[in-house]
Amino acid sequence: MTSVAIAMLEENPFFVLGLKPDTSRIELEREAQKLLGMLELGFAEARLYSTPVGPRERTPELVRAAVAALRDPYRRLVAELWARHAPPMRAADDPRDDPDEEAAQLIGLRRELGWRP
Amino acid sequence: MLAYPMILVFVLRRYALDARRKHRTGAYLAWSIVSGLTTALIVAFGLLVTAALAYVGAWWVALIFAGIILVPVLGPWLIRHALVPLGAVRTTYFLGLVSRPGKDPTAYALVAAAWALANDGSGTAEAWLSRRRDVRRPLGDAEVIATALIVASHGDADTARQLLRSITLMVEDHPFVRELAGEWLACDSAERGAWREIAADAAETRYPATPLTWLLEGIAARRLGHVNAPSNSELWARWIIAPRRMKTKALLQSALASTRNEEPTEPASDADASHGESTDVVTPPERAPLPRAIATHLAFSSNTPNATAFGATVSAWDAALSDGATHAWLARRALELDAPLGAVDRALREISATVTEDLARIADSAQLAAPPSHGPVGDNLGRRLRHGRLDTLEAGFTRWSERRTTGEVHPAIDEWREFIALKTAYTAAVTAGGLELRRLAFPHVFSTANNMSAWLWNARNEYPLSHAISKWLLSEALAVGDTEAIELGHRNCALFVPTRSGVPTKTNAS
Repeated sequence: MTSVAIAMLEENPFFVLGLKPDTSRIELEREAQKLLGMLELGFAEARLYSTPVGPRERTPELVRAAVAALRDPYRRLVAELWARHAPPMRAADDPRDDPDEEAAQLIGLRRELGWRP
Repeated sequence: MLAYPMILVFVLRRYALDARRKHRTGAYLAWSIVSGLTTALIVAFGLLVTAALAYVGAWWVALIFAGIILVPVLGPWLIRHALVPLGAVRTTYFLGLVSRPGKDPTAYALVAAAWALANDGSGTAEAWLSRRRDVRRPLGDAEVIATALIVASHGDADTARQLLRSITLMVEDHPFVRELAGEWLACDSAERGAWREIAADAAETRYPATPLTWLLEGIAARRLGHVNAPSNSELWARWIIAPRRMKTKALLQSALASTRNEEPTEPASDADASHGESTDVVTPPERAPLPRAIATHLAFSSNTPNATAFGATVSAWDAALSDGATHAWLARRALELDAPLGAVDRALREISATVTEDLARIADSAQLAAPPSHGPVGDNLGRRLRHGRLDTLEAGFTRWSERRTTGEVHPAIDEWREFIALKTAYTAAVTAGGLELRRLAFPHVFSTANNMSAWLWNARNEYPLSHAISKWLLSEALAVGDTEAIELGHRNCALFVPTRSGVPTKTNAS
């Protein structure tokens, strides 16, 4: 089960639309239309969006849900709270994803010392 | 003429092995050398006489002589280096029996055979071994260890770990099987990088040390920078007497590269130790409370949960949601966005509830205690963890004790596994709820578990099992200050417990 904190950042409307939290309502609508058009035409650059937990796939449903959420002042307030205070964006090949080198060396040690499995 | 000196050598060897199990200092090395020398002497003598008998044509006498002299000495070595890797469960069992490492050799045979089971490809040996285990009554430490190794052979290391740790409650004590349990736990901790667990077991001398365990303890002490960590020469000596030197060479070298502390270091808490080494909190750089809380929560959710990171996350959220700057920012943005009246309070409540729910779920699955932080998240979390766990606990203990009346008879090992699971749940709940919850939970736990203990003693003759339950109840009664339970506990624990490992034991809770 995904953590709520991760879900709040993964599906944050501002990240889905690739916009800053202080973007105006008109700009939001314009960007959503642009993204929907790009997704319909299969533009590669519109297929992924950045989040603090790594890139995620963007779908037309996510874009529509994001813009609908940001039209509601209360939901926008909550989305802004998470987006504005989130850690920096993370790239797909962020080294934090790599397992610790020493921990990797210890995998299978119990078996090597005679205690299977 | 040679018989008396050889008997003396045999006795000296046995004494050296027994003495070695009681030490973790230089005496361990000295007794290892004595046992090595005596073993070499016995093997040389055995080979010489066997060869002489074979030379004069008395083959059958030579074989019997070799069996009597050499098998008991070389048995444990053959089991570790040949039979266990081959998965020869039955041969291991019978060789374990004849190698007689101490009183009750069946205990050793059972555990050694369970060790070999992990490499058995036939699939028939488990049922054979389980039958051998079940006919041994009452349940003792060897049966629990054998079960743990059987479970481990299925790949369930968590249950195996829990069972092996539970034997410290058992009054029956076979040092030659407990040292194997200690070695499994040390190797398992080393694989998980949980060096603090190894150091804690060594400091408490929970299990006798095999040469491999002793080496891993030295490596753990060096890696953690303990002031009493072995020197380079001591570590080399431990490595030389331990088996599988090629496999441990890299660990030894990394430990040698670590420096010894001259000042005493702070001992790790039990909570830290019980959750391995992953106690590092990914602390974000200094920043405002809310970004800090989100970053800490994210790091906690993404890594293996541990008590320290959990505490830091809860404290960070309590600080963030009580922070005036967060409230002011929300109020200003609510006004600018034309949000409905009460949006700020609603947002704070919603975030607090969402975060609490998320952290409670992770804490429940990782059996983490509620941290002492007070605030919108810490208070709700403590309440939630307390109530949920108390209800589950009471239901569990009630279900367990109902067996006395329903006539449902489970094998002793299943009773032990259920007790250990309930005890673990109780410990997690009272750690989360503190003394208040401990006092609240104890009366029900005491009444049900005490009845079960009496039933296991009187109706099932499971003395060590019953004694372990009474011993645990007494320690809990002392913690909550329940006078009646303390008195009854002292009486129960003072009963003589017949064991197979030695003279009948009269024990009391420490």
